Amino acid sequence: MRTLILGLVLCCFSGAQLSAQGFLEGRPFTNHTEVGGLFGNVEYVTNPYGTPKTYGRQNKTNLTIQTFNGLMLTSRLAGGVTLGVDWFNDALINPIALGARYDLISRYNARLFGTLDAGYGFTWFYKNLNGNKLNGGLMLNPGIGWRLGKPGNAGFTIAITYKRQEAIMKMPVDRAILRQEEARQYNRLAVRVGIVF
Amino acid sequence: MKPGRLLLILSALPFLAGGCTDRCEKTQIVRQIRPVTLSAAEVRSKVKIQAPADLEQPGKIYIKDQYLFINEIKKGIHIIDNSNPSNPRHVSFISIPGNGDMAVKDHILYADSYMDLVAIDISNPEQAHEAGRKQNAFTSGVFDGLGWSYDAGTGTISDQEMYFLEETFETNCEGVVPNPGYWWWGGIYAFYGTAYLSSSITGSSSSSYSGSTAQSAGAGTGGSMARFTLYDDYLYTVDQRKLQLFDVSSLTSPAFVKDIDLGWGVETIFPYRDKLFIGTSTGMHIFDNSTPSEPKHLSEFRHIRACDPVVVHEDVAYVTLRSGNVCGGSVNRLEVVDISNLANPQLVKAYEMQNPAGLSINYPTLFVCEGEYGLKGFDVSDKFAVDKNMLFHEKGMEAYDIISMDDNVMMIGKDGLYQYNASDPKNLRKLSHIPVRAPAVITEKKE
Repeated sequence: MRTLILGLVLCCFSGAQLSAQGFLEGRPFTNHTEVGGLFGNVEYVTNPYGTPKTYGRQNKTNLTIQTFNGLMLTSRLAGGVTLGVDWFNDALINPIALGARYDLISRYNARLFGTLDAGYGFTWFYKNLNGNKLNGGLMLNPGIGWRLGKPGNAGFTIAITYKRQEAIMKMPVDRAILRQEEARQYNRLAVRVGIVF
Repeated sequence: MKPGRLLLILSALPFLAGGCTDRCEKTQIVRQIRPVTLSAAEVRSKVKIQAPADLEQPGKIYIKDQYLFINEIKKGIHIIDNSNPSNPRHVSFISIPGNGDMAVKDHILYADSYMDLVAIDISNPEQAHEAGRKQNAFTSGVFDGLGWSYDAGTGTISDQEMYFLEETFETNCEGVVPNPGYWWWGGIYAFYGTAYLSSSITGSSSSSYSGSTAQSAGAGTGGSMARFTLYDDYLYTVDQRKLQLFDVSSLTSPAFVKDIDLGWGVETIFPYRDKLFIGTSTGMHIFDNSTPSEPKHLSEFRHIRACDPVVVHEDVAYVTLRSGNVCGGSVNRLEVVDISNLANPQLVKAYEMQNPAGLSINYPTLFVCEGEYGLKGFDVSDKFAVDKNMLFHEKGMEAYDIISMDDNVMMIGKDGLYQYNASDPKNLRKLSHIPVRAPAVITEKKE
């Protein structure tokens, strides 16, 4: 799956370059680089063997950085590739996604825009410990944001998005444990500030 | 609808659907242990011949003439026609509940079945049948590290069995596992005990030595992990704390003679000439067996706590110490012991190993099973340089116990039975492999 997605992204990326001679030729390049936090919580069982089971809750805050590079396909829509890095607790994930940025309101200096990134989160830079093996998973990141700055110029952005990132942590097995893995689904509110040009 | 509005709506959907709560679930399938109660009558009714079956969880091996006997832990014994080691043929399977050890004298196979010692006529291995039984010969034992006990008063066997449990926990997405409790670790603990304590209270052994071990005329040969052995007209069994003697002069009517307390941790018995070498978790006992009905304790060679099968050649005993099992200990070692003075055995030299289990000697070649690290062969002509004279190292299989007979080597492990031609130990030649069919893993889901 991840190979397929990576292939699609790279094809689109290289296709965009190749097509630059045609459809994309002359279309302006745009970059949107953001940094922010991933906010959420988790509810988990603290004693699965109790009667009744007992549960706990933890708040989670993590750092996220991403950069979108693309072309202005229309005066309001930009398409491209988003590369990022998300430092979750016990997971370092590098999402690579196809991305879109769409100006919902484009007439003012403070403009509302929509953002959508969909791709796959890789774990290339995560150092596995204790025989564990972290595998990445699908990533979806839609949201809205405000862009401050004159149309046509560079500007500052603040975006509020929902980020869903899947991952699987496989733990070592032996003869007493035939299988053990943790299926993770991070559901976070991502608040980012950035610059766009 | 305009694209912008559509995108706005799409952006809002996930908030409604999933919120911002991480959802992480850890799924694990672990071995578990639960008690099982059996009746003696039920167990006794289940000893019978069956069609040949695949190996699933092989235990010990034993050889008599052209037949190879492979214990299926707690279930029975496979009989293999090994006339052609390159093409061994399954002959039959004898269902023996609670079986872990065996020994063969003439045409009678002695096997433990929980509390009983069963004599099975194998003159026609395809039509093997129970010929006699010594009831209530044993009172407790261990399989796979799990103990069982027998209450003769009620005819009840209290045993334990392993099963697999699939559990799912909501976690905090950080790989933290809720502590499953002691019983879960028991599963691991039990497993690692398999190699050494797979047999029931009795154990058996004959020699794994290809040379001149003196044992009962007409007896076969067992591996170094055995707890049964035959000598003269006596069957010797060891449980976890004592040596038991059974008179088998009447082949089908084994009669209890006596037992000798050896202290806790008895594991294996190895006969050599008129001596018995008994491996325990803390040392090696040497018995003079020149009067077979009255084994006389000569000495004990003590070592640090570990499981330790032993084989002997002339005046040298070879002992492996292994960690990571129910015997405790943390060493993996081959010890070479001078037994020229049986009353005062002395260590010659100790060699570090990886995870040694059963061993066998066909002098000057010593074969050592190294568990998951495979099988090794050493030239032990020079007692002080065994480690420098490794002849071969077969990898890629799990080696548990071994018997060397002339040029042939039979090795059993969790992967099955391997046979080799060792006429040139430096170029070990694989003859055949009887694989293990993994038993279907039946899991139960925790509600």
